[in-house]
Amino acid sequence: MTDRKRRIGFVGVPPEEALGPRRSDILIDLDNVVEGVHLRSESVLPRTTCRIIRRVYDNARHLDLDEIIVDEGYGKCDAARGLAELLAATLSIPVIRTQNDNRVPAGTPICDSDLPLKRKLELILDGIVGAQHAVPLRAEPRPRAAFWGVPAADFSIYDLFPDGTQVLGWTRCLENRTPADWELEMWVPEGVPTVFFAQTFCAKSIVAQHLARKHDGLYVDVDGVMPQPVRAKIEAFLRFRGVWD
Amino acid sequence: MARLADFGTTWTKLLDTESGERRILRSREARDLTADVATGHNARRRAPRHVNELIALAQGGLRLLTEPEFLILDVGSRDIKYIHMRRGELVAMDWTATCGSLTGFTLELLGNYYGIDYGTAEPSTKSVPVTCGVLGMEQLFELVSQGVSEEEAVARFARGIAMNAYRFIGAPPQFYLSGGMCDNRLFLRSFPAEAEVRPLGRFVLVEGLVEEMGK
Repeated sequence: MTDRKRRIGFVGVPPEEALGPRRSDILIDLDNVVEGVHLRSESVLPRTTCRIIRRVYDNARHLDLDEIIVDEGYGKCDAARGLAELLAATLSIPVIRTQNDNRVPAGTPICDSDLPLKRKLELILDGIVGAQHAVPLRAEPRPRAAFWGVPAADFSIYDLFPDGTQVLGWTRCLENRTPADWELEMWVPEGVPTVFFAQTFCAKSIVAQHLARKHDGLYVDVDGVMPQPVRAKIEAFLRFRGVWD
Repeated sequence: MARLADFGTTWTKLLDTESGERRILRSREARDLTADVATGHNARRRAPRHVNELIALAQGGLRLLTEPEFLILDVGSRDIKYIHMRRGELVAMDWTATCGSLTGFTLELLGNYYGIDYGTAEPSTKSVPVTCGVLGMEQLFELVSQGVSEEEAVARFARGIAMNAYRFIGAPPQFYLSGGMCDNRLFLRSFPAEAEVRPLGRFVLVEGLVEEMGK
């Protein structure tokens, strides 16, 4: 008998029924960057695989995990379902498939707070593992800009936005603990200059581009590290929409 | 007095605001130059104040043009970008360093390689599918190996670049052109006949820096 804590990797936002019993273990979000992980996915996954799915694969292969829990419900994509199949077939640890169809909102105080955008993302992602809303939050009544999308692979994109930038899209669903809430994911307030972001090769790029046209926003997609043209487009968009002087 | 610079991939454009002197140097000969305000691919390390190229392009247009609405396409050595403004507000913009990559650079390279005078070369009605400079060059060499003249093959390449750029900006009936390609007569004549191309020269981004200095 050992008292070693088990290392549980998870993908997406598994339902509380799956995560709750494992909260005394070490929970590792495989969607996020883990320092020191070797990149092996290039030789295994198709070139049109998004950076987040690649990262999940690399983390799952590299980290010494005891178990992986995958949310492969409506809030996740076919690529995640396919990856779960691949991991289950090639790893010797259990890969538990779950579906998070929760519709009970936990609220979005971080998304709507006056914090810097990068800090918001850090808190939202940390909140899956730890307690939500552990820091005092102050609401931003008049956000100068908004950011729609999934969490970006390169967090430097968030530095381009003013404090209090409102978080929309799937990341908002993530804080709300309703990752499959399409209505919330599509919600965009009128009149706020909004950047619609998708990972390159992600199916969400279709709706991101559509919403950008519909709401007169800016659509960008990034594969991994943010290139200079994307940075320049966001800077110019925020500048000429009056967000920055 | 201030030195303003557009530190491009291949060419550096300089403006001395006091004397009004303008200079164009090969970027490899301008590696040690610095400026007070700069834009361009190599600007960040060489000026205390950096303005990104899209903002410089828009500000250059606002400074140089009197129309309430304009679209400027900038074809650089390594990328293409455009900005569409209406009454000082942004309508649309884009910048690609992938699909349009190395187009200007490759055209200059091919001109030197084959000894083609772009001032007298005739445009072609056919085009090479130029998704990027490198892939387009493959097609061009294939044409030459099939017996097409070098001048015709390069003309098709130039038309391919022009068509690619024209589709990129949404095929408007009229637009302004910025950058070194303004001096390339073959390129200017390679756009569709229905498109009115108005060259603005190589200092549009630098003019944008003048505008930015006042802010």
